[in-house]
Amino acid sequence: MVNLEDLKKEAKAVLEEGKVKYIIGYEKSANGLMPVPGFIKSPEEVEKLIWTPACVYNLTKFLVDEKRRKSREKKPDERPVGLVVKGCDSRALIVLLQEKFINRDDVFIIGVSCEETGVIDEKKFLKKLKGKKAEKIEFDEKDNFMVTTQEGKVKVAASEVLAERCLECKANSPLIYDVILGEKVKRSMDNPFQSLEKLESLSEEERWKFWKEQLSKCIRCYACRSVCPMCYCDECVADTINFAVTADTTAEEKAQKIKWLEKSPVKSENFVYHLVRAIHLAGRCIDCGECERVCPLDIPIRFLNKKLEKDAKELFDYEAGFDPEQASLVSSFKDEDPEDFIR
Amino acid sequence: MAEVFEPKIVAFLCKWCSSAGSDLAGVSRMEYPPNVVPIQVMCSGSVSPLYILSAFNKGADGVLVSGCHPGDCHYIKGNFYARRRIALVKRLLEFIGLEPQRFQMSWVSAAEGTKYTQIIKDFVQELKPLGPQTKLRRDL
Repeated sequence: MVNLEDLKKEAKAVLEEGKVKYIIGYEKSANGLMPVPGFIKSPEEVEKLIWTPACVYNLTKFLVDEKRRKSREKKPDERPVGLVVKGCDSRALIVLLQEKFINRDDVFIIGVSCEETGVIDEKKFLKKLKGKKAEKIEFDEKDNFMVTTQEGKVKVAASEVLAERCLECKANSPLIYDVILGEKVKRSMDNPFQSLEKLESLSEEERWKFWKEQLSKCIRCYACRSVCPMCYCDECVADTINFAVTADTTAEEKAQKIKWLEKSPVKSENFVYHLVRAIHLAGRCIDCGECERVCPLDIPIRFLNKKLEKDAKELFDYEAGFDPEQASLVSSFKDEDPEDFIR
Repeated sequence: MAEVFEPKIVAFLCKWCSSAGSDLAGVSRMEYPPNVVPIQVMCSGSVSPLYILSAFNKGADGVLVSGCHPGDCHYIKGNFYARRRIALVKRLLEFIGLEPQRFQMSWVSAAEGTKYTQIIKDFVQELKPLGPQTKLRRDL
């Protein structure tokens, strides 16, 4: 089990040595239960760090912001950024390294292992507590979480409140790290695609009905895009203006630019948006589940990405986020790729 | 009299093989259904999934992507990339509930005018019973 004191000690040590600019980790929020991302800039602030089963966020997204900020600075601080990563987040880092978006020297990785458990799904968790206000949640033994509520302590079975993605986790301890806390253990898992297969087994009409209902709800807030560590393009097809506008760009040029999809949140445009998003994440998505977590309308977006992940595995034996040296899914091919669907 | 449904097919044909193949079908005066709108692209590997979604969005009943046979690509390996990408798009479209017949891929060389006409004939035959594609059509 990850000892919080060890985490603080490691963080303090690297900050005191001046090895890192600052450390991005989790700290306590006002609401108590769910943490907020914390930016620890001095050794004294290290006390703010926490590590609980509610540390769900994928903090690698902040590296994208960090890179942008750095590029704007005249004399950037070249020291790496310290980052607290879980197993799944480390896979996101591997994809960013594979795409050469970041360099290994840009980041000091403090790995935390989830060991045999994982992180909670806030919605499932609140439902389980039935209105009781949780003040604190801690890792307990292997299969339980210890929750402190106003009425005392209760044990909650991990399997009931774990996030969906943790139940299908492929890497429960970080794959790359500079320091690691907790034990590197491999959790046994029956089937990484169990939830998806349920949906796949439906008939064509049922699947269409499901997606029509789900994607029609989308209000195009783009929260899924904002939170995704892989959505780092400066220009995006989903934006009204998806090309660089300079002082020389004429009105005509802007008008003639192809508009691939409309902004209006209607069914057909939502389908284009979500399908394109899924395809752009093919072979890159590492299933951190953040898109689904932030969706204000609870659209199960994760299934679209999961489907492509499964196909990539089945058809091309490709898995994202394990090897920073491998060629990406769509920029490589094998002679024996299936072509039974081609006439 | 009820009007017979005539599907509209958007075909992305690569310049070097499939487009030449369709040209051969034309100049040889082979007969095939007029339902297809050919769009010449430089390579099947240049067909972005967005083109395909956009075609469906703008009212295509079927989309065909056609390129050179493996090993014949003018750009050496463009069609290999296409094969991988199209496989993923096809699976994804089927997953969200689009009829699998609506999206096809084929290899047509510059000499295969007959094969091209046959593919279009079959495609139209398969699309007719399905009726118009409304699932991804723009509903603004």
